[in-house]
Amino acid sequence: MAGLSIRDARKNFGETEVLKGVSIDVADGEFTVIVGPSGCGKSTLLRAVAGLEELTSGRISIGDRDVTDLPPSERGIAMVFQSYALYPHLTVRENMAFGLKIAKASKTEIDDAVRRAAAILHIEPLLDRKPAALSGGQRQRVAIGRAIVRQPQIFLFDEPLSNLDADLRVRMRYEFASLHRQLGTTTLYVTHDQVEAMTLADRIIVLRDGIIEQVGSPRALYESPANIFVAQFLGTPRMNILAAVVADDGSAQLIDGGCVALPPLAAPLAPGTPVSVGIRPEDIEIGAAAGALPFTITFVERLGGLATVHLQAADGGDPIACQRRDDGSLREGEKVVALLPPDQLHLFDAIGRAIPREARK
Amino acid sequence: MSLRRWSVTLLAAFVALLTTAPLLWMVSVSFMAPGEAAQFPPPLLPADPTMANYHTLFGSFGIGRFLANSLLVSTLATILALIFTIPAGYAFAKLRFRGRDATFRLLVAALVVPGQIGMLPLFLELKAMGLVNSYAGALVPWLAGIFGIFLVRQYCLSIPDEMLEAARIDGASEGQILRRIVLPILTPIIVTLALFVFLGSWNDFMWPLIVLADQNLYTLPVALAAMSREHVQDNELMMAGAVVTTLPVLILFLALQRFYLSGLLTGSVKG
Repeated sequence: MAGLSIRDARKNFGETEVLKGVSIDVADGEFTVIVGPSGCGKSTLLRAVAGLEELTSGRISIGDRDVTDLPPSERGIAMVFQSYALYPHLTVRENMAFGLKIAKASKTEIDDAVRRAAAILHIEPLLDRKPAALSGGQRQRVAIGRAIVRQPQIFLFDEPLSNLDADLRVRMRYEFASLHRQLGTTTLYVTHDQVEAMTLADRIIVLRDGIIEQVGSPRALYESPANIFVAQFLGTPRMNILAAVVADDGSAQLIDGGCVALPPLAAPLAPGTPVSVGIRPEDIEIGAAAGALPFTITFVERLGGLATVHLQAADGGDPIACQRRDDGSLREGEKVVALLPPDQLHLFDAIGRAIPREARK
Repeated sequence: MSLRRWSVTLLAAFVALLTTAPLLWMVSVSFMAPGEAAQFPPPLLPADPTMANYHTLFGSFGIGRFLANSLLVSTLATILALIFTIPAGYAFAKLRFRGRDATFRLLVAALVVPGQIGMLPLFLELKAMGLVNSYAGALVPWLAGIFGIFLVRQYCLSIPDEMLEAARIDGASEGQILRRIVLPILTPIIVTLALFVFLGSWNDFMWPLIVLADQNLYTLPVALAAMSREHVQDNELMMAGAVVTTLPVLILFLALQRFYLSGLLTGSVKG
């Protein structure tokens, strides 16, 4: 096993710059997830680590070795693709053994490696089947098995759960987590699904337009997003953002009406400063309280145990989402008051960067 | 079975009979005695089936040699065409190199030029190279057919890049990827292409006629044409010659039909 280091990675496709100087360090044994919207460059970055895409500039090191100019097979990586990429004419056993056969490993060595990987993934009964006779989940397991057989220093996963149905995705997420605990191999995992990122990662890297927006643990990113993009990318429903200006008394006057008290900040803001106030849907409290604002319920999405309630401010503007346990009491068209608790608020400046809060004691 | 299905089945059987009737009559006439097929109305079946025509063909006419010539030329043409066409089609579909798309567009544009136009320049070229009146000369036009390259390229485009990349990560060289991953996947199209080339070179008349002057090197169609000049009245012998010419390829075609059809249907059924 080994860590991964990417230094100032840049990649151009013609005139388009897809990676704009990305630097990442992944510690030995860490499960790192790169997350971002489509076209942000996350798959390009992963393919560059795999050696399938040549960087325009920058260096990549795995362990102590600079692998920037090495072919994929000599980098000590194994990759699991979104489409599984199994060889359709070979059996599961042959698929998993392919790399070792190419490397001219002995038959005993190949058999041992395949049997070990098959046991880890519980796919022993499938070894003599061809990919066409497997379900999506089984194919995914075989693809992972093929990666395990290579005994790589780093696992690379390119949106491996995207082709699976919702139920299977949840199961496979659990299996990925267990597998990582079992093998402890350094893992770089790319996804556009923030739930996968939050549930699997030791550390998340949020990428947008070829630039790293924030790096940190799932909890840290969720609780202290560096900007509005990260704040809204992580969490479902996404964080509500309300335009406001700082009032004379230090509170925030919302553009759509109402006033909210602000949390203690590291440095006070001058009155009239435009800010964006962010609050997560689960932090909004519906019910009478000091400082609560009047809203009308425009829509209730009932999800079983939870409900997402869309609230329209009395003075208009975009509705905000509030998530709470569904007790069936709220109805569309009902007028309610809701509190945006100051200690749950996130504050962003005019260009969307987080305004630091006073350090918690 | 409903009336509608009966009607469709009967119609299909009638069309099949209409299509195969000339072939069946060809086989029937080949077993007739000299002059029997010229009667009016022409008989459907031989009154007294005889192998005499085949004895003449393989005996005094020596068609066995021409059959062997055809078999040799067609087999070599097929093997050589596959050797050149498959890597070319794969490269045009999956490998990145400078001028790839421009070269391919040029090749496809050349498809509209009728083959006959190139015959004279090709003949002069081969003459300069000393390949006229040799099998090498007869094989040249089959080496790398544009249609074959096009066919292989289109099929290769349906192979996911990720599969080839997985093989690269597994340490396979480009040659190993082609041999161990791509070729097995290409089986239907390889059979289809092989059949096209084999049938084309087997039935080809014009080019062997131009390039092969030595009678001992004649392929079946050329030999049959030469025979027809001497035996123009001898329908039964000519029909036996036609049977010897068409039967091997017909059997080959029927034997490989399963692959051939799946190859042709590729574009419509592959996801």
